[in-house]
Amino acid sequence: MNSIAADRAKPGAGLFRVRQILDNVEAKPVSTALTWPATLNPAASKRYYFWLVAPAVALLAFISIYPFFWMIYMGLHDVEIGSVVWNDFANFTRLPSDSRYVGGWLLLFQYSAMCLALQIGIGVFLAVALNGLRHEKILVTMLLMPMMIAPLVAGMVWYFLYNGTFGWYHWLLQSVGILGPKSILGSPDTAMLAIVIIDVWQWTPLITLITLAGLKRVPQDQLEANMVDGASPFVNFISVTLPNLYPVLLIAIMLRFMDNFRFIDSALVLTGGGPGNATKILPIYLFEVSFKFFKLGRGAAIALTLLVVTIILGMILAKVFDRLHPKRT
Amino acid sequence: MASRDIVQYQAPLSRAFGWFSAVFLALYLVWTLLPILVMFISSFKDLLEAFKIPPVGDWAGVTLFFDFTPTFKHYENLFVNLNFSQYMANSLIAAGGSAAISVILGSMAAYSLSRIDFHGKSDLLFWIISTRMAPVVAVMVPLYWIFRELELVGTLPGLILAYTTFNLPFAIWILKGFFDDVPYAIEEAQMVDGATRFQAFLSILPLVGPGIGAVVVLCILFAWNDYLFAAIIGSGGAKTLSVATRELVQPQNIQWGPIMAAGVVTTLPMMLLGLVIRRYLVAGLTMGAVKE
Amino acid sequence: MFYVPKEAVFRRISRRKFLELGGGAASSLGVGSMTLGLGSTITRRRVQAQSSDDAKWKQYAGSKLTFLSENTPPSFAVRDNIKTFQDLTGIEVTILTDDLPVVQQKVGIDLRSGKADYLLNYVQDKPIGAPFAEFYADMTPLFGDATLPQDPDGYGDDAWFENFLSACGRFYTEGKIVALPYDCAVACTFYRQDIFEANSKDFEAEHGYRLEFTKDSTWKNVIDMAAFFKKAKEAGKDVPYGYAQHHGSFAWTTQLDIQRLLFANGRWMDWNIDDVYGSKEPGKTNWGDEQSVLIMTKFKELADVCHPDNLANGTLELNTVYQAGNIAMQTQYHEFAASIEDEKTSRAAGGKTAYAVCPKGEASWIKNGGEAVNGCNLGIGGIGINGNASDDLKRAAYTFAIWSVSRENQFNDLKGLGGTPTRKSVFAMEEVKKSMVRPTTMPNALTFDAVYNYCIKNPHIVLGPKIPQANEYHSILAAEVQKCLSNEQTPEEACKSIQTQLDELNGAG
Repeated sequence: MNSIAADRAKPGAGLFRVRQILDNVEAKPVSTALTWPATLNPAASKRYYFWLVAPAVALLAFISIYPFFWMIYMGLHDVEIGSVVWNDFANFTRLPSDSRYVGGWLLLFQYSAMCLALQIGIGVFLAVALNGLRHEKILVTMLLMPMMIAPLVAGMVWYFLYNGTFGWYHWLLQSVGILGPKSILGSPDTAMLAIVIIDVWQWTPLITLITLAGLKRVPQDQLEANMVDGASPFVNFISVTLPNLYPVLLIAIMLRFMDNFRFIDSALVLTGGGPGNATKILPIYLFEVSFKFFKLGRGAAIALTLLVVTIILGMILAKVFDRLHPKRT
Repeated sequence: MASRDIVQYQAPLSRAFGWFSAVFLALYLVWTLLPILVMFISSFKDLLEAFKIPPVGDWAGVTLFFDFTPTFKHYENLFVNLNFSQYMANSLIAAGGSAAISVILGSMAAYSLSRIDFHGKSDLLFWIISTRMAPVVAVMVPLYWIFRELELVGTLPGLILAYTTFNLPFAIWILKGFFDDVPYAIEEAQMVDGATRFQAFLSILPLVGPGIGAVVVLCILFAWNDYLFAAIIGSGGAKTLSVATRELVQPQNIQWGPIMAAGVVTTLPMMLLGLVIRRYLVAGLTMGAVKE
Repeated sequence: MFYVPKEAVFRRISRRKFLELGGGAASSLGVGSMTLGLGSTITRRRVQAQSSDDAKWKQYAGSKLTFLSENTPPSFAVRDNIKTFQDLTGIEVTILTDDLPVVQQKVGIDLRSGKADYLLNYVQDKPIGAPFAEFYADMTPLFGDATLPQDPDGYGDDAWFENFLSACGRFYTEGKIVALPYDCAVACTFYRQDIFEANSKDFEAEHGYRLEFTKDSTWKNVIDMAAFFKKAKEAGKDVPYGYAQHHGSFAWTTQLDIQRLLFANGRWMDWNIDDVYGSKEPGKTNWGDEQSVLIMTKFKELADVCHPDNLANGTLELNTVYQAGNIAMQTQYHEFAASIEDEKTSRAAGGKTAYAVCPKGEASWIKNGGEAVNGCNLGIGGIGINGNASDDLKRAAYTFAIWSVSRENQFNDLKGLGGTPTRKSVFAMEEVKKSMVRPTTMPNALTFDAVYNYCIKNPHIVLGPKIPQANEYHSILAAEVQKCLSNEQTPEEACKSIQTQLDELNGAG
């Protein structure tokens, strides 16, 4: 068991323990392997396990470490046509004054915050509404359909729906008087909403699923005890249910947050960053710099900052796992 | 269940809440399924019919949406003229190949990582999962460079390897959780009975079978739904469904009919797979952090 | 066989089912070919200058070439017709088509990494030609090579429409030609004669001149017309909007839209550089000067009376708006005429639409002392040969390049798929001449008089700016113009912001 204690001090350690702790099945010791069968030579065992891990680690190292150093190298150079010139960190030092870069971060956070707020709000509400319904299973199955759709296809379908000439959603929005003849993608004020909506459409079900899983673990005895004491369901929800959901919700938030950083397929199809720069979230700007402007040095610098922030987020995520999992053993 | 019993104790307020949530749920279901329905129905419409829309505010005009003669010509076009069966095979091979490699290497690694402990193990695990966190756009250019050197651009093996970059860490991560749940005593018993270590490893594989099945399906799902890798690394010889679908957007002609049909072709298999592993979806999509 | 523990997890579901699932998926992986690589291969037979034409065409029989192109009609036409080329040369050509941004990415990566995966490229003038010109093979030595087959119409400037060869083939220097004109999209005015006629009286009462579109119609007139229709529409009359433009996410069209106004009024250009050859060091931009601010103001004024969805529409979306009868006039690329004349999809078909030149500059708007012209611009795609390839590959590719832009091919493309010719000899064909008036079997030809006899000629045409940073230039310009149009900034602010960013971009700050 001492290995668990040691693990807990490190980021990420909780990630693979939470599943057991959250599971109603009694947690099994992680480190049973520490007791070697007497017949086996421990050193040989270690070597054996090492060779089982090696291919995967080697492959991952190959496809992750090389790009990482490549990015650092390119990020420190001026990569113009046919030449690579050291440029004294200019790719990095110019970033703070690049309005599209700074704006890209702000928009990314704004985009992600809007997505998350809506997804959590709607997702949790749906989960509470669904929890224990007679047809819960089938309803949930219907709900999760959008998650299976390729983001590119989703983007195209929504583009079709949003279109100002033949789009049914545009017709609907116009008919109820929310929009005029200007379509949702035609104004910087609404274009962001358009890409938020598609993310909400695709990924709210995930929040619902996660929350449902969390709801099943809310201690019923406590809820009932509070009821007897006269607490309203609403108070009960706030004081008992919600705190129990925090860990799973935090996991959901971090995962969605990171996915917003990682995937831009549907936004690329829908707005490509426009109009103006209204939806030019950082990954889209990075895409432009690397693949449209072919500024590999600048692109690498932007990519590195994005990567570092994503990994820091990942570490926070790992810490969150450690801190907030319900301590029931 | 208990929660429902409790709700029934409370009179008007929670009844109102019940109604409200039922209405909300119904509306939400409509909003969730409508785009899929539109995609499905539009794939059977002639372009002219797909563009038919009532005047603003004419609610009765909604019937126009269903006013069409179904045609299979878009599907026919995809598979007869546009070589979509090849693209579908490419998608399948790329997604399946990467899933196979990820699961084989992943289960070996996950098994070992579940069975041994060493200094820095959690760092190694974090590093493994961090390789999956990288924004695709960020790593695309350097990856392209390596793949180009290895003559892998535009080939299915190249695309398989590209997908393995995000599927392998995922597989290791999830499978480790499954192996953790299998007591070491089983292998121990096997080895005491004279089995080799590898035989012992194989003997517990059936116990993590469901995990392996779920991981295979999820790896296929992730790879199948990818666009950026396929567009850049798979370009040319390994065109997948999503790239082929995007290509139907032509400067002078967005072929909405075939696009919708291609959307259905791309989506339907994944929806079916999603249903099959419905139970593992949450665990899979939350990296095993949350389990139903 | 082996012990299964009682407490095994996941026992609630059918384990067998999942095993089967995993196994089934795994076994289905084995099928299919795994080696669909790219790349070109070459086989060669020596020929002499005095060899027969057939031998010259056939010298690379058995070779394989790859051509990466945009998904536009000429490429489809060439692909449909590829058998002819194969019969002629024995060379197998794989034609890959993609969305222009994707073509750009792939070509860029391929050229810059010193490879020749894509031996032949679609060299769209500004997006691909301007940044990558030096990676393409110089075709001039091949033009006169007696050991290669040659096109009887030749490749000189006279063989193509005015400026076309320079537009896609010459970058920063006169001597080197990197691409042959393959297809083109020239801006011209599409308007609804029927709607114009029906509203002519009211318009004349209000504005004192007839509602008609001629060579002398200015951008000021366009604003009048758009404003008239908008007012009538808002007053509840059954009329469409008057005008609309394409400022959607496809950055090039936003730049082209405003460039036409800027050039029409005093032939204003972004930089004081030659617009035909371009410049690698354009220096300080003219953005921010009095002329640019005035035109930006007028551009905004125009946008305010247009169909309100300009910012969501690219070329095709705008064309759909026009096809649906929701606008009375658009400035559109002449390759779209075929879709307008399609009775099945367009309400503007059947003689309702007239095709005219681009609007003219307004004398009172000109502050730089320049001339008022019918400012017109174009996007032109060339076919170029990857400079990283070996000499033999280049020569083999050359046979395909000249074949693909031959008169016959361009004619087939025009006739079959609604393409746009670049060779004068196509224009001179009797069948094409006859098609320039209704009834026509080649609707694109309805635009040819306005386009080839007027718009593309000097002094109306503007080609540039050809600068290595063309793509970022387009992106910056589009973003700032769009911000101005959506009231996020004033025209002055937009011009200043463009000025600052462009000067920084070119190191001219």
